[in-house]
Amino acid sequence: MEGKALGLWKDWRLHLVVLAIVLVTEFIGQHRIPVGVGIILLLPMLYAVIIGIAIYFTPIVTKKQSHNAETLVYITLTLLIAKFGVQAGPALPQLIEAGPALLLQELGNLGTILLALPIAVFLGLKRESVGMTHSIGREPNLALITDKFGLSSPEGRGVMAMYIFGTVFGSIFLGLISGFLATATPLHPYSFAMATGVGSGSMAAASLGPLVAAFPDMADTITAFSGASNLLTSVTGLYASIFIGLPLTEKLYKVLSKRRNKNGTETEIVNNSQNITETEKQNEDRKSKVVK
Amino acid sequence: MLKNIQEWILLFIIVASLVVLGNWVGYDVMPLDAIPGILVLVGVSMIGLIIHKAIPYKGIPSIAYIGILAFIITIPGVPGQEQIVEWTTKVNLLAIATPILAYAGISIGRSWTDFAKLGWRTIIIGMFVLLGTYLGSAIIAEIILRIQGII
Repeated sequence: MEGKALGLWKDWRLHLVVLAIVLVTEFIGQHRIPVGVGIILLLPMLYAVIIGIAIYFTPIVTKKQSHNAETLVYITLTLLIAKFGVQAGPALPQLIEAGPALLLQELGNLGTILLALPIAVFLGLKRESVGMTHSIGREPNLALITDKFGLSSPEGRGVMAMYIFGTVFGSIFLGLISGFLATATPLHPYSFAMATGVGSGSMAAASLGPLVAAFPDMADTITAFSGASNLLTSVTGLYASIFIGLPLTEKLYKVLSKRRNKNGTETEIVNNSQNITETEKQNEDRKSKVVK
Repeated sequence: MLKNIQEWILLFIIVASLVVLGNWVGYDVMPLDAIPGILVLVGVSMIGLIIHKAIPYKGIPSIAYIGILAFIITIPGVPGQEQIVEWTTKVNLLAIATPILAYAGISIGRSWTDFAKLGWRTIIIGMFVLLGTYLGSAIIAEIILRIQGII
């Protein structure tokens, strides 16, 4: 990533566009929309991502700017990570106290499998659903599925679709629901702070923003928990997928598809997935050898 | 390496200015007040990037070095800690997030045509995929925090 950075500062067109977006969106400021029992928070960063997408389709920016923007996301993200860090340091005693919750909430990512896989199977998807719902589908998961099944397999198509969905819609969606859930459900803002470590920097920023804006007096602790959770997910996320997420998805998929296909197709699918599990095991062996 | 550092410095000058200006317009922090804080954040980020570049083992991402370094220098008792905390408090988190998502939007534009082809089933499942992770983690955290009596 850093290797490609040479000469990017010269892309004045890109930086001026972003400057204009920042000034306009910050000038518009925050808005709160009450929806039933909760509040949807509209933050400048939410307008920024939408305006950014819209501007891509105008002659103001070209594909070149769009490519360059990717590295700039990364560079700016390092500042956010540093900010996470400096807010987490003073909260060290609280982090230690909340350690068990921080560690165990990582397993919450399995909630995706339990919630989304049944829906995917219900909507009629086959093996694609395994790729789609085994995790949140960011870069490490894309790599994992490609490694196990190949990118042109049904599982590969599934994870790719989810990757594209998350890239385009993830930060917008999480930015909208995070403030709403925190105000509408009885769950504590600290719990949602820990949940923001989903495995993507921009999604974390988008889901953390409304929490900080909705609960300003808890902002320091919320940011500290969020930072710690993000760091943990970046370390443990892939392994949780390999050892728990994907095997659990396979099992649950078998159960669900059996129930769905009570006719002749059932055996075929079961056989198929058994074959796949076999190859997986071989892959797993190979990998563990490599690790050793 | 030197060329990289030079390039990073130029890029950080640009993004730091964006943050400071957004911080001014959106959160009423005068640029002069925010400059020490943003310099600390830039410094930490630079050091993290340099460590990542200098160490041959690339298994640890540079953001891990950055996060841990920023964490260590602000642990209570570390020399200069109070000053660093005071400076960086002036740089609003949301002011950093806005330029990130503005750049992200422009970068995302390229994926839009792929996104448009996805179909309604993918979009519905996608929302539950995100919701599942987010809500799942929050529920587990809530249970543990309540058992511990923290909340």
